[in-house]
Amino acid sequence: MIEDRLLVWRFNRGDPAALCRIYEKYRAGLLKVAAALLNNRSGVEDVLHDVFVDFAQTTGRFQLRGSLKGYLSICIANRARDRNRAMQRRSSTSLDEAVLRPSVTDGPEHAAVSRELAAKLDTAMGLLPDEQREIIVLHLQGKLPFREIAELKEMSINTAMSRYRYGLEKIRSALDGELEP
Amino acid sequence: MSEIRDTERLLETYLEHLPAPQGAEGDAKVLADALTAMQRAKHQAAQPGRISWSTIMTSKAGKLAAAAAVVGAVLFLAFSGSFTQSAWALEDAIEAMKDFPAVYVVGAFPGGTAEVWIRANEDRTHSTDVVVRGSHGAVTWTRDGSTYHYEPSQNTVYFEHALTIGMSQWLGPELLEMLSAAENARIVRGKDPATGRDRIMLMCSLIDVHGAQSWVIEFDAAGKLPLAMKQWQNLDRSGPPSFDAFKIVYYEDLPDDVFDVHVPGDAKHVEKPLQIPDEAVGIMSDPKDGIPVEGMTQQEAAEKTVRAVYQAVIDQDTDTLKSISPLCRNWGDEFLRKIIFKPDKDNRIVEVLEIGQISKTGRSSLGPIAAVPVVVKLKNGKKVQEQMIVQFRQFGDTTSCVVHGPYGLPREID
Repeated sequence: MIEDRLLVWRFNRGDPAALCRIYEKYRAGLLKVAAALLNNRSGVEDVLHDVFVDFAQTTGRFQLRGSLKGYLSICIANRARDRNRAMQRRSSTSLDEAVLRPSVTDGPEHAAVSRELAAKLDTAMGLLPDEQREIIVLHLQGKLPFREIAELKEMSINTAMSRYRYGLEKIRSALDGELEP
Repeated sequence: MSEIRDTERLLETYLEHLPAPQGAEGDAKVLADALTAMQRAKHQAAQPGRISWSTIMTSKAGKLAAAAAVVGAVLFLAFSGSFTQSAWALEDAIEAMKDFPAVYVVGAFPGGTAEVWIRANEDRTHSTDVVVRGSHGAVTWTRDGSTYHYEPSQNTVYFEHALTIGMSQWLGPELLEMLSAAENARIVRGKDPATGRDRIMLMCSLIDVHGAQSWVIEFDAAGKLPLAMKQWQNLDRSGPPSFDAFKIVYYEDLPDDVFDVHVPGDAKHVEKPLQIPDEAVGIMSDPKDGIPVEGMTQQEAAEKTVRAVYQAVIDQDTDTLKSISPLCRNWGDEFLRKIIFKPDKDNRIVEVLEIGQISKTGRSSLGPIAAVPVVVKLKNGKKVQEQMIVQFRQFGDTTSCVVHGPYGLPREID
């Protein structure tokens, strides 16, 4: 936290090394938040790119309230939501995006959760309303406490916790329905 | 699977192992662009005259203004790339489009989405009314020759006395001429995997008065109408698009109230500063170009420069035009001939009737800039008012001027 305050202080004075350090420090976690929130994961790097370019433009006037990780995670969530909505409104899928869509079950990492289960979780997460999905990802993936999520998203902590719980219940129901025919 | 805690644990494991990109190439691009943006923000903050508008443009909702300008630019110049391949009958597409005097576009720009309504004049030669409404409440519109942008977060209307959004050439046969004249575009044919329908992608890029721009326009091969379009503010379509128009609807008419815009009565009004893109400054910085204006006032120098550039157009003198307006060097001679000289057209410029007082001044990194109103007569007898942006330059002891290009769209006057 103290390191972040110092980084922000240096960033606001135009120090490029501070921006690079912030990027290196949070890049991996933010990519995972984006991957969990985007319906089309080919846009993960684009979302990170946009958020950091926007953040870089705030040099000299950026004011940190709460944690830097929390702020950047919320920016990723907002950008991912905009992108999902834009994609949903498209009348048809464009050629390049369809070709680039990866499968969540690709890669050896998913050995921890079976491929079949991961695919079902993918579907269940994708069906959640944005506001529930975001809070689940920010809390479980981003490791942000509910109080901070509530402050950054300008809602009460009770609302944040309720949305989280409703989201979990829906996922549980979806999995129960799938796994116990 | 009945306990919430079990679900949490399962989700934690699932989320922890989601695949995410690891490429150093992606990192390099993010960092390069972010550092450039940081440097630009520092540079802009150091110029007091530019802070206001720059701050607006970096705000989330404020990017609508950029989107609005983008839409304008796209619609004036989307078709100014070249399509030398004859793999697809563009004539059919143009014929299909010209039946519609109004267009509705929905798209996404960085930070939000926007819907755009555009209507043509009676002759269907150019647009008259434009409204761009952003998802964050910002709105950009044209009225009586001016362009307005309302920022709800600041309760402020930013305006400029020029039509900086719209279409200089409405959908129709004139566009086809532009297509046939340009040089660097290509056509790609593909199939939409979602619908199985054939798609035609037109890709082009150029540097114009709005800076570097590139486009991909997606046509439905059967219907002939453009269905989607993306624009980037660079020449190689790198990074996320600055405007992604994913829905385009054509109308035979639109009610007037679509173009009504209401802002709070207590909104502040602030005039937008005169600016030109950095890419253009580089192109205009060759000391060999331009008109010498030693010992002249700004007004005298601007008049001399603007008169010279219009005379080059009237005389169809390509070399002189490129020297006075270096941005034209980016376009081929045939493109200049068809788009600017228009030798066979009734709407070509034949006379400069009046050059007015400098209406607005600003500054680029090369020196002062000024907008100069000009009234010209066309071969068909109509009079048109345009504004040209003149760049003043000082190289050693030599003072000279070049023309950046038009400030907004031309307007017919009585």
